[in-house]
Amino acid sequence: MVLNSRTDFERYASDAVKKWDARMSGDGWVISVGISECSLARGADKTLTHLRLALEANEFDAEVRQVGCAGWCWAEPFVEVRGPDHPPVVYTNITTDRVPELVEAFKHGNVIADWAMGVRADTPFKGIAPLDEHPYLKGQKRLLFERAGVIDPESIEDYIARGGYSAWIKALFDMTPDQVVDEVKTANVRGRGGAGFPAGIKWESGRRTQAWPKYVVANSHEGEPNVYKDRRLIESDPHLVLEGIMLGCFALGTSHGYNYVGGEHVLAIKRFREAVKQAYALGLLGENILGTGISCHVKTRTGGGAYICGEGSALMYSLMGLRGQPRTKPPRSVEEGVWRRPTVLNNTETYANIPGIVKNGGAWYAAMGTEKSKGTKLVTIQGPVERIGLVEVEMGMPLRELIFGLYGGMKEGYTFKGLQTGGVSAGPLREDQLDLTVDFDSMTEAGGMLGSGGFVVFDESVCAVDFARYLMAFNRYESCGKCTPCRLGTPALTEILDRMRNGQARQGELPLIERTSQHVIELSLCGLGQVAPMPVLGMMRAFPGEFDAHINEGRCPAGVCPMDAGAAVLSISGAV
Amino acid sequence: MADTTQSQVEIDLEPLREILRRDFNPDDYQEAEELILGACQEAQLLYGWVPQAASQVIADHLGVSINRIYGLLTFYADFRTDPPGEHAMLLCHGAACFVMGSERLIREINDDQHLGPDGRTPDGAFSVQVVNGCLGVCNLAPVAQIDHHHYFGHLNRERLAAVMQAIRDGRPVEDLDGVE
Repeated sequence: MVLNSRTDFERYASDAVKKWDARMSGDGWVISVGISECSLARGADKTLTHLRLALEANEFDAEVRQVGCAGWCWAEPFVEVRGPDHPPVVYTNITTDRVPELVEAFKHGNVIADWAMGVRADTPFKGIAPLDEHPYLKGQKRLLFERAGVIDPESIEDYIARGGYSAWIKALFDMTPDQVVDEVKTANVRGRGGAGFPAGIKWESGRRTQAWPKYVVANSHEGEPNVYKDRRLIESDPHLVLEGIMLGCFALGTSHGYNYVGGEHVLAIKRFREAVKQAYALGLLGENILGTGISCHVKTRTGGGAYICGEGSALMYSLMGLRGQPRTKPPRSVEEGVWRRPTVLNNTETYANIPGIVKNGGAWYAAMGTEKSKGTKLVTIQGPVERIGLVEVEMGMPLRELIFGLYGGMKEGYTFKGLQTGGVSAGPLREDQLDLTVDFDSMTEAGGMLGSGGFVVFDESVCAVDFARYLMAFNRYESCGKCTPCRLGTPALTEILDRMRNGQARQGELPLIERTSQHVIELSLCGLGQVAPMPVLGMMRAFPGEFDAHINEGRCPAGVCPMDAGAAVLSISGAV
Repeated sequence: MADTTQSQVEIDLEPLREILRRDFNPDDYQEAEELILGACQEAQLLYGWVPQAASQVIADHLGVSINRIYGLLTFYADFRTDPPGEHAMLLCHGAACFVMGSERLIREINDDQHLGPDGRTPDGAFSVQVVNGCLGVCNLAPVAQIDHHHYFGHLNRERLAAVMQAIRDGRPVEDLDGVE
């Protein structure tokens, strides 16, 4: 079915809403299983199959559907059960062996309170507390993740039933491109990829440039070693990202949009491609959309597993089928980007914020968050914490509340030592610095960084020198090799840290690290090289005692580093 | 060395040709260039590596030179230019896995399995690739992915060895994520 006018869309939308309401408040049973990369790893596909078979065997009539990831990775696979007089109950950790018992329970209208995470209702149901009161969800503010885990990510109808594409309609029929840019500027949404550059300013200069064609690109590369927010977002709500990109195209007055997805995110690629296909089929993408004369095309491109391709100019070269290596700027990409044309490049999460901004206005968005960081942020925390997963919180939430509240604090037997921030591009924070908040600026002074929102908690069993070496080695491995300071500086720094780990440290290693780091920071060509030594400098600042112990006492306080390996290694190679 | 290996392996190129015919139809040269990486991904997914013959098929289909494709294959970490072992294993070395002990695990698997410089076990049953990025299933850290879809989490030396032995023997691995 192709929609040809606004009325067509509105009719389709109201039908979709009716269908949704009939499903969610009707007499039928609905069993939803979260299918995403993280739940598949825990066997959610098997849970789904077993559920279908069990229902069949019991001759129990129910609609079994897939939904996306809801962020609670620690609870996967999750199953949501609703029926007549049975509000939706979310059950966690439903592996195949639990399926028969679960089916047996709801078949008789019973619940299993021990397995339940909560009920999607305002009041408790048979001893199960409302989902929103669960400590993991209580502190969250879900704008981007509002539909995640609720709708079927492979259904455009579900998305529209839950208010999707209304921003696209509003822009097409009620707004000018300049007004869209203005709303984004008023919202003051800053780039979610790490740098925090205001998207509105980028869009405005992109709009002003008079060279055609122009391109709009979403950066869904996500190659950092501790972030998975973009892929979960696409896996759970691909249309939201797509709508954001489409609005970007509209604002710039171009019909060319791209989404560049990291090649290893297989499910995200599949679901985004499916979303694009559905949008074309419905006539929301393509030529002369809904009779407005406006055209928009969005293409999916995939990368090949190189961290550097997260850098803007490298990504564009990769998109053009070349080796992803950054180039010197200027010209900036809004002047010369993809195919040497003006290009606006934003992070996936940034685009996902746009539909809400267009629908509700920039002022609505700007009222959330802190003075300089507006809106919400997707955050992932890993390491030995009680509940590992993805949360969406309002900017300005204290890290302590985040870690010890939402994430449930440290797992039993682990003691908090530090929090690595900003992926591989910043330093860690100590326990006494956890009163800093989630926003773009507050952590900077302490040597941390919000980055793309990926944090790693580490405990006493992790050695600061060893961790610094790991982060440095990552940067060394991923250095694209184009500019000398990064290509030679990162191995040099790794080598110094290796000497410390192997008990071969010399006097003056720390000043040497600082001097070498300074070279890399000041002389590297791209943003990634310029921050490559930050984790090492941060570790040195946060845990000076450990570096001292390695250098002056020849011991590793955490007992991790092979302090006596160095002599052996060096004597074999003959180089002392 | 790669050349001798390549010449010994018989590759059925027809499935790749079919995918290219179906999904890779650029409107112009610009789009053809944009599609190269995606086509390489398809070959990698199909064969577990990108043989020279497959590169040639892609090059011919998109009208680019095979040299350019080789340049991409050797830049991007996802691609292999030599055949993998029977089972391809990705060992995650993301930061979450690191803090849960993946570094030691990598050292141990290297010793225990006598991995060659290309990450292959001597019997050719496995090729082990350490992933610098993140597999994105951090709740299972440290985690390995075997043959694309099967994840094995909360690994330690013994568990990983047991998983690998089970797969060698063709037995199912009962306990999927190692949670006690």
